[in-house]
Amino acid sequence: MALDGDVGAGLVAIGAGLAVGLAGIGSGMAEKDIGAAAVGAITEDMSLFGKALMFTVLPETIVIFGLVISILCIFVM
Amino acid sequence: MSLPEPMSRIVIVGTKTHIDEAIQALYDVKAVHLIDHTVGADEGFTIGTPRPYSSKASERLLKVRAMVKGLGITKKTETAAVPEDEIKSQISSDSVEAVEAEVNAVFDRRNDLNQRITELNANKKSLELVSRLPINLEDYSGYRSIFCVVGTIADDPADALKGMECEVFFSQDKKLGNVAAVFARVSDRDAVTNVLSGHGFAEFAVPEGYSGSAATALSTVDKEIAAAEADLAEVGKEIEGLLEKHKDFLGASEEELSIEVEKGELPLRIATSGFTFVIDAWVPTKKAGAVKTELESKVESIYVEIEEDRGRSLEGLDDVEPRFRNPPTKMNNGVIAKEFEYPTKLVDVPKYQEIDPTILIAIFFPLFFGLMVGDVGYSIPFIILGAYGLKVTHHKDWRAIATVFLFGGIWAFIFGFFFYGEFLGMHFIGHVAEGDVEYTWEYLLSHYLGLETSGLESFFSFLPGDHGVGKISADWIGFLMKLTVYIGLVHLCLGYCCSIYNKTMQHGFKHAFMEKGGWLLSFLGLTFFCYGLANYLIYAIPNEAAMNPIDLYAIIIGLVVMIIGVVMNYREEKIQAILELPGIVGNILSYTRLAAIGMSKAGMALAFNYIAIHMFYDSVEGIIGFLLCVVMMAFGHLMIWTLAILSAGLHGLRLQYVEFMAKFFEGGGTEFEPLKIKRKKTVSTTQKAKANEV
Repeated sequence: MALDGDVGAGLVAIGAGLAVGLAGIGSGMAEKDIGAAAVGAITEDMSLFGKALMFTVLPETIVIFGLVISILCIFVM
Repeated sequence: MSLPEPMSRIVIVGTKTHIDEAIQALYDVKAVHLIDHTVGADEGFTIGTPRPYSSKASERLLKVRAMVKGLGITKKTETAAVPEDEIKSQISSDSVEAVEAEVNAVFDRRNDLNQRITELNANKKSLELVSRLPINLEDYSGYRSIFCVVGTIADDPADALKGMECEVFFSQDKKLGNVAAVFARVSDRDAVTNVLSGHGFAEFAVPEGYSGSAATALSTVDKEIAAAEADLAEVGKEIEGLLEKHKDFLGASEEELSIEVEKGELPLRIATSGFTFVIDAWVPTKKAGAVKTELESKVESIYVEIEEDRGRSLEGLDDVEPRFRNPPTKMNNGVIAKEFEYPTKLVDVPKYQEIDPTILIAIFFPLFFGLMVGDVGYSIPFIILGAYGLKVTHHKDWRAIATVFLFGGIWAFIFGFFFYGEFLGMHFIGHVAEGDVEYTWEYLLSHYLGLETSGLESFFSFLPGDHGVGKISADWIGFLMKLTVYIGLVHLCLGYCCSIYNKTMQHGFKHAFMEKGGWLLSFLGLTFFCYGLANYLIYAIPNEAAMNPIDLYAIIIGLVVMIIGVVMNYREEKIQAILELPGIVGNILSYTRLAAIGMSKAGMALAFNYIAIHMFYDSVEGIIGFLLCVVMMAFGHLMIWTLAILSAGLHGLRLQYVEFMAKFFEGGGTEFEPLKIKRKKTVSTTQKAKANEV
């Protein structure tokens, strides 16, 4: 599928933006709850910091997937 | 691989008459991790009782701590270290009691003065109200048949009290409140009180001991308050004097007494019978012999038996008494790797029977950090800050951060210089046409400063590409993505191998291969499969070419290996074995963040450089343009540098925790805490202590 001209390039750019943006919203929503719970747990017991950090950053992978897709969009297509 | 230090279990038996010497010797060798005795563990033995000296010591410690708090001595207060013998003799000659008497006398005076000031202030408040009534203070009392009440009130009660035989003095003031004094017959007391309470009357006592007009009394009270406050300031100075005079003694005696109490209460953790005591303990295997010799030679009638050298296997541990099941973990790392124990401990202390991931974190974390930062300009402050931090700070949190800065900075320099060829987001060499967005140092130097830069080109000609790998250039982005995925594959593979190693150690290779081998095979199979498939989808299909046979083999081999892995896992994990497969792909792709974060930083640097050079320096004439350019560059790069700490640091750590350590690390060990005395405010008779340490 070869998209030529300005419209095609624009559509690819929009797709790339959506990939990162929506993935970002998704991981944000996931991290919001975990983050709140993690901060609660840390106030109770500081030694949980490492584990809490681990759980908080778990959903961050989602946004990296979005980024990979968007990079593929821009540089490969 | 770094495993926690091997441990041996020893039993120390001795007679109670020599228990104090034994306790002292245990603290001196600094290598004995006590196993607490549990009630009923051995027939005929009970938990010991504290040594006789410990109750006196705790009593004194309580006094010392009260004084320390009262005088405001904190951890930060600098005190001189006192020799151990000196402080001991001071304590035993009742110095604590003497200092307490001296300090308490001053504290009592301070309390009295504070109380007096409170009272005087209350009097002052009353007098201020009363001073608005035209009555002398002595006239408020001393009557037989009439009574007087004074108080604040909501409104004038004169009308309501008309029917009764009484005299009302009233002063109205919206701001300060109304005040009234009522004189009436004693027989009318109830009726008058009822009426007054209906008007919101709140009685207060007229201060006694004053005569004449309230205004005169008020000035007397003011003088008294001033005098009392002066006295209080005097006492405050005395307290400061006491603090200076006794802080060394108090700091040292608190430490010495805490040590005495700790030693005195040690029998609460060991088993004793009528005449003997028995101590179970862990010691590092390599020190076990030395500990035995040392203890037996120092203490009379003591016997030390090395019960076992504990291996790493978990088999047969169920038959062992619970308190002997888990030896403590003494992490076994070199000087540099030791600084990375902090991130490991953030997750958990490793178990005795598993690999301590510290050394692997020490290798990969700075490497990832450097790969993400990858810029000479940002790496230099990291290296300087890290080296400086390691030199000055002793706090373990800061040391951990400084270590990451130093080694991460060194990697960032290596990658920045040899691989990316970048300094503050700009390549060293490369001619860029006028008006193009990308700048290089060579271009800046020759174009703006008119310098001769031909040497630069030959010097940097070793860089990959023409002038380093572009983090955000279309030519290199695919390469960077692939590179990071390959790094991830190596890292993850290492993680799976560690998990097999752990299980082999704990239960034997067969068990390990059946439990963890399936995951390794799934991982390897999936890797081959995805490699072939990705090549086909990305290169063959868009170019309408035929499938490369190597890709086909990769797909087939990958599928076979993966299926074997899934089948092996299916026995234990059921459907989870299949559901986890996308997770493995996710783990691998997760490493592309190494490229992505590097890109995002390079992108920001590009934007700031463009704004600074193109929009300010080129567009604004004269010195202002130059200044704007410098300020913009400084601000922008400082911001990127700060963000680099957060993004590169956090994501580098995350890859260790989530992707890597989750594969094999279980944690839940107890840290090795040998009996030893830490002295800060007292000086031990050092040579003796060092000589006994094994």
